[in-house]
Parts: sequence; structure tokens; C-alpha cells
Amino acid sequence: MSALLDMLRPDFLLHHALYGSVVVGFVCPLVGVYFVLRRLIFWGVALPQVSAAGIAFAFMLQGFGFALFAGGEAGEKHLAILGSVVFTVGAILALTWLDQRSQGLSEGRVGTLYALASAAAILFVAWNARGETEMLSLLKGEIVTISESDFHAMLNILLAVCAAMFLFQREFLLVSYDRDMAVTLGRSVLFWDGLLYLLIGVTISLGVMTVGPLVIFGLLVVPPMIALPWARGMKSLSAAASAAGGLSAFAGFYFSYRFDLPLGPLIIAALCGLFALSSLARLAVPHKGR
Amino acid sequence: MNKEKEPLVRFTGASLGYGRRAVVTGVDLSVHPGDFLGVLGPNGAGKSTLLKTMLGLIKPVKGRIQLHGSAFGAPRFGYVPQKEKLDVIYPLSVREVAAMGTYRRFELLRRLRGKSHDDLVRQCLKECGAWDLADRRYSDLSGGQRQRVLIARALAAEPELLVLDEPLAGIDVPTQKALLKLFKEFKERRGLTTMMVSHRLQAERDLFTHIAWVADGKADFGPAEKMLAARHITEIFGDDQ
Repeated sequence: MSALLDMLRPDFLLHHALYGSVVVGFVCPLVGVYFVLRRLIFWGVALPQVSAAGIAFAFMLQGFGFALFAGGEAGEKHLAILGSVVFTVGAILALTWLDQRSQGLSEGRVGTLYALASAAAILFVAWNARGETEMLSLLKGEIVTISESDFHAMLNILLAVCAAMFLFQREFLLVSYDRDMAVTLGRSVLFWDGLLYLLIGVTISLGVMTVGPLVIFGLLVVPPMIALPWARGMKSLSAAASAAGGLSAFAGFYFSYRFDLPLGPLIIAALCGLFALSSLARLAVPHKGR
Repeated sequence: MNKEKEPLVRFTGASLGYGRRAVVTGVDLSVHPGDFLGVLGPNGAGKSTLLKTMLGLIKPVKGRIQLHGSAFGAPRFGYVPQKEKLDVIYPLSVREVAAMGTYRRFELLRRLRGKSHDDLVRQCLKECGAWDLADRRYSDLSGGQRQRVLIARALAAEPELLVLDEPLAGIDVPTQKALLKLFKEFKERRGLTTMMVSHRLQAERDLFTHIAWVADGKADFGPAEKMLAARHITEIFGDDQ
């Protein structure tokens, strides 16, 4: 109990890390619902890995003396985020293009991308002239060391993502649910898909830098799965999934702080606990069918 | 039939297909305000290709397609897809599905003020006999109920041309009769221009003012009375119709 009270105090030493985890926990499921509803769950595995490869690539470039942004460590992080966003959005666009053009198995392409991204991340780290330790820590998610300025930048960007997901929910739903209808209503599927992919890319990139690829995969996919059987509409699905993600992140942080254990696996454990509870409750509550 | 008016849709010497591969060639047809066009033919003949081309989902391989709405550009379509095309994993309420018909407009300010088109959606659901389902989950409905909701969604788009893709497929006979009655009401009361794709010719034949028969890579188009004339019907549909 005292650990919980410690965490809730305004002068809590790790308050940025706590808030950062919870914010990522709230926002990731908002984009994750589209992975689940579009039946692209394996994208949720592959894209955080691609994002990690983008971060590793950016740091490798910096190791070779390439600096796009000024400002020392902050500039390095900006380049890492840029690398991550470019890799992630690029991968989404490539997968979409291939899905539309190719005859082969979509899951096979996503699996190949995952393998490629994992291998590339390791190689980029190995080629990094500035050493592997810091890089590996970043790829696992370095939320505990997040600075105030990084936290505020992340918060602003994720709030913008939330606002866009809320404002354009109609369009994202329409192009996801019935693309043909969207075209007949004169809506540009290409534009709205592109904007959704950009928001997904930014969310994954920031999330991976904050809590690492494993936790981001969990936060993208598990909260929508928790909420789906109970939802009565897109708004309730998004709200319930977001609440499940934020709550799991908070619970994970509590147990991590209380028992001095790694944060990421505990967030995943909390998510899976909620998923088990939701599934059991669903079995217990009779389903109102036709 | 208002032949003096400009047609909403006109195909002239069009070849329809995917990429450079034509599935149906020599398509010449037009849909005027008030018409009820039946697009008939066997499965896989190219009826859906014709529909998709008209809706702008695919480009014609060759020829001209002219679309004239009351405003600039194409007519407002109210599209009813085959109900199996919509994924039931989406936890949408009937009201949400029907409201999609109003998503033509961007209306950011209206959205920020929390205003929606509830009255229009309610009216369309009522007209289709689906208002009592409004708060149910769409995926929990029967095939016939889903079809009513999709028709309400199309009406919510305030269409100039209602496009129905196999609306009676996989539905029990009483519901088929109820839907045909609904289409008849749309035709008689609203004067709604309609295009209906079907792979058969049964009870709905009385609704059609025009028929396009799509088979063997060709489309034969004409007034229903001519297309359904005893000799012609045997030629194109066979002896069993």
C-alpha cells in the first residue's frame, strides 16, 4: 500500500516514467483496435520490431558521425524517432501495397518482415561505433530514465494522436469497415488510410522508445481483445480498450516498483490477467444473440 | 421513365474488367431518373464488374462512362453491398452502421459541437422496418435484418441512385417478399432510381423497367417488356424461367 501511495505523490521520483507508461498504455490501444478489426494482428508483432530497427539504424548513422538535428542527446533522440517513424510507416505502406498487388500469403510477408527487422536491428546495433549497451537499453524501452522534456514532447505528440483518432474516427471506421462504401460516398480511401498509418507509425515509434517493442505489441493487441466482447459500438470499444491499456500499464508499474522487477514483462502480465478475467466473465455472462 | 432528362449513368461501348483484362465487352446502357434496372446473369458473368465500374471502384478497360448527378459530377449513390462482405468482428450497433450513410460530409465543426444526423438515421431505419433494432449489435442480427439495416444505411446517403448487390441472396422467402415490397414502395412513393444485381429472375421481375443481361462476356440491355418478351426470355434465360 505504501508503494502505491509513494507512486501517487506529486514528488514521486519516477513520476515521468509512471505517467509516460500510463499515457502509452492509454494511447496504443486506440490505434491497436484497427489492427484487430482489420485482422492485422501480426502487423502488431512486426511493426514494433521494424520501429526498433529504425531506431537502431538512426543511432548507427549517428555513430558514423551523421547528425541531422542539433542539441546533443536530444538531437540524437529526434533522429531516432524520425528513423523509427520512417521505417514503420514505410513498412506499413509496403505491406499494404504488396497486399493489394501480390497473390501470396499476407501472413508470410509479415513474418518475413518480422525476421528481417529483428535481424536488421541486431546488425545495426553491432555496427554502431558507439557501443551496444546504451542502444540495447533503448531498444528494450528506457522509460525509467525518461527526461522531463522528452516526456512533455511525447505527451504532446500522443495527445495530438488521440485528438486525431477522436476527430476522424468516422473516416477511419468507414475505410476500415467498408472501403467500397467509402469510395461511393466520395471519401478518399488512400488519404484516410495514409493518415491512419501515419498515426499508427508515430504511436508505435514513440511507444517503442518508451517501453520497448514487446510491450507495444501487447498494448496494441491485448486491450482491444479484452474490450471487444463487451463493446457496443466503436466509441465504447476504443474507450474500454484504452482504459484496459492504461490500467495495465499502471498496475505493471506498481508491481515493478513494489517488487523491483522489470516493467515491461509486468505490464504484459497485467494485460494478460485482465484478458483472462474478461474471457472468464464472458463465459459466465450469457450472450444476447439474435 | 423520364427519357427527356439526362441519364444518371451512361455506358457507351464500354469494356469492363480488371487491369487490361476485359470481362464484359460492348456495354451500352443508360439509367434515367425513375428507372429500375435489373442486372441479371449467371454467377461469374461480370455483373459485379459492371456494378463496381459504375460506382467508380474500378476503371473501365475501354469506352466511355458518363455520370450526371444533380450536383456537379457523379450522382449520389446509395450502395447496398452483399451483406457477407462486411466483417462481423466490428462491434457496431445498428444505429452506427446506418449512420455511415451520412459520412459523405466532413462537417468537422458540426462534429466538434457533438451534432449528428440522428433524425435522418431514425427515419431511414423506420422506413426499412429496422428502427426497433437500433440498439442491437449488427453482428447479432439475422440475414434479413442485416439487409434492412444496409438498405437504411444506403437511404441515409440520400441517394439519387440506389445500388443493390444481390439483396435477396441467402434470405428466407418471407423476408425476400418483404424486401421486394420495400423496393416497390421506394419505386412508387419516392420514385427512387434503382439498380439491382441478381443472378436469377423470379418475383423481382415485376419491378424492373429495364434489364441488362450479362453473360458470355457480353451485356444485352433493353426495356423490361422487350427483354422479358416470351421469345427473348427463352433466348437469354433458357426454358426454365
